[in-house]
Amino acid sequence: MLQKPESGALPIPQAEREMDGSHDGETQPLTASQEMAPSPLLQESPEEDLGAVREEGASEPSLTPKGARALAAKTLARRRACRRLDRTVAELVQFLLLKDRKKSPITRSEMVKYVIGDLKDLFPEIIARAAEHLRYVFGFELKQLDRKHHTYILINKLKPIEHEEEALGGDGPRLGLLMMILGLIYMKGNSAREAQVWAMLRRLGVRPSKYHFLFGYPKRLIMEDFVQLRYLNYRRVPHTNPPECEFSWGPRSNLETSKMKVLGFVAKLHKKEPQHWPVQYREALADEADRARAGASVRARASTHLW
Amino acid sequence: MQGNTRRTGIMTDVHRRFLQLLMTHGVLEECDVKRLQKHCYKVHDCNATIEKLEDFINNINSVLESLYIEIKKGVTEDDGRPIYALVNLATTSISKMASDFAENELDLFRKALELIIDSDTGFASSTNILNLVDQLKGKKMRKKEAEHVLQKFVQSKWLIEKEGEFTLHGRAILEMDQYIRETYPDAVKVCNICRSLLIQGQSCETCGIRMHLPCVAKYFQSNSEPHCPHCNDYWPHEVPEVFDPEKERETGMSRSNKRSLRSRQH
Repeated sequence: MLQKPESGALPIPQAEREMDGSHDGETQPLTASQEMAPSPLLQESPEEDLGAVREEGASEPSLTPKGARALAAKTLARRRACRRLDRTVAELVQFLLLKDRKKSPITRSEMVKYVIGDLKDLFPEIIARAAEHLRYVFGFELKQLDRKHHTYILINKLKPIEHEEEALGGDGPRLGLLMMILGLIYMKGNSAREAQVWAMLRRLGVRPSKYHFLFGYPKRLIMEDFVQLRYLNYRRVPHTNPPECEFSWGPRSNLETSKMKVLGFVAKLHKKEPQHWPVQYREALADEADRARAGASVRARASTHLW
Repeated sequence: MQGNTRRTGIMTDVHRRFLQLLMTHGVLEECDVKRLQKHCYKVHDCNATIEKLEDFINNINSVLESLYIEIKKGVTEDDGRPIYALVNLATTSISKMASDFAENELDLFRKALELIIDSDTGFASSTNILNLVDQLKGKKMRKKEAEHVLQKFVQSKWLIEKEGEFTLHGRAILEMDQYIRETYPDAVKVCNICRSLLIQGQSCETCGIRMHLPCVAKYFQSNSEPHCPHCNDYWPHEVPEVFDPEKERETGMSRSNKRSLRSRQH
């Protein structure tokens, strides 16, 4: 459950309005209001607010002192309500973004339960403002999926880029390196000696302890990160002197890729067909059959690797 | 007077794509952030000059202000790599995790967090965390299950594992700084140099003050006889190297292995 923020006297980027519950669902433009004096980025303090508001009241010459106080209190209450509304809109934006990550539609009742709470009468206004923020700031369009059941989804307005991850070179190159290693391991009969892995990488111009502009420190990436993330297993080979270690596929690799896919990758590298390696091809086929049988119970945990 | 427009920047598709991708990754190292920025310019505005990263991010942050979020820059505790994450300014709970984990899983995280903060090294052993499995709120969790959940935390970059022990990922430190300070005000440790939250670091054996490894590196840079800034006693620990992304270091691996028993975070 998202917690309500404690404070936050940030400039309110729209005009003060009556909280009378009349809403036409119009989206609010994100422009500064000329009526509001910009408030300082400080902790909200009631005394400060009251002071500022008293000044407003004092500029009304026709009011009695009692009337001025009443006006001041009313304005203060309205400001507070405004701020609370802003915070709720902000929380709804975050809630929608988080929910969308999981690709499940979001229902109105969820929004009311976790974010909006007792401001639920203002739902149309809140959601309209949230939608505008989502559009302007993030490039998402909030679409109502179902008029009857009040479910919503986010649609990305930015044009999709093919192979964006590779182009980015963030995780891309590192996972590419992983594929090379998985390929080597598979082609060598499901395990490869550490020395063989480094020999292959050296041919690619990658040395264990030399900082690489794409991979960082390869030795750390492979021996620590890949092993920790369960992409690779690393173990001592018994009865070897001097002691040798070997790599094999980790459980996560088995989930996120397959023997057939890796064989396909290796085949492409060599500009050949997977069938060129009959032993590995047969093994990959058997693996595919196993997976098909396991079928429903194999969950797509690959989605977690986006984190 | 249009006072607010001075503060609020302009969002274009370049910034939007940047934000979307940063959100997808959760946390990114500076070199990846720069690559990301370049990519976004290439896609949407390839003729424009790429704005300096700091200004680019400040521009976006001025727009994010009204949403109570910001792109925050931090530094990994073990080797001083700059990292960036989109963090919540307003809430002081672990709400970002709340939507992805069940009640008992969140409570496991809280228990691990508490052990990490109470510890002297900044690490909590797997055994100690798993022993608390009976005290978790929500549905009953077995130890085997808890092991799996801890791995989920590692994969989603909330925790780091090293030799069977867990500490906070840089991402968690960035996102939960306020929450940690408010929830554990007595146990929380602070760096003597930068005054921010400290989970891993070096400490003076005489007076007990603590410093982040990258803060130690900067403070004692090219000082052959380091002394404690507080009590002036001889500083007994090995001073690490200042992180330099430009330098291609031949022996970088062996040296960094020696100086820190704990692995890097990224």
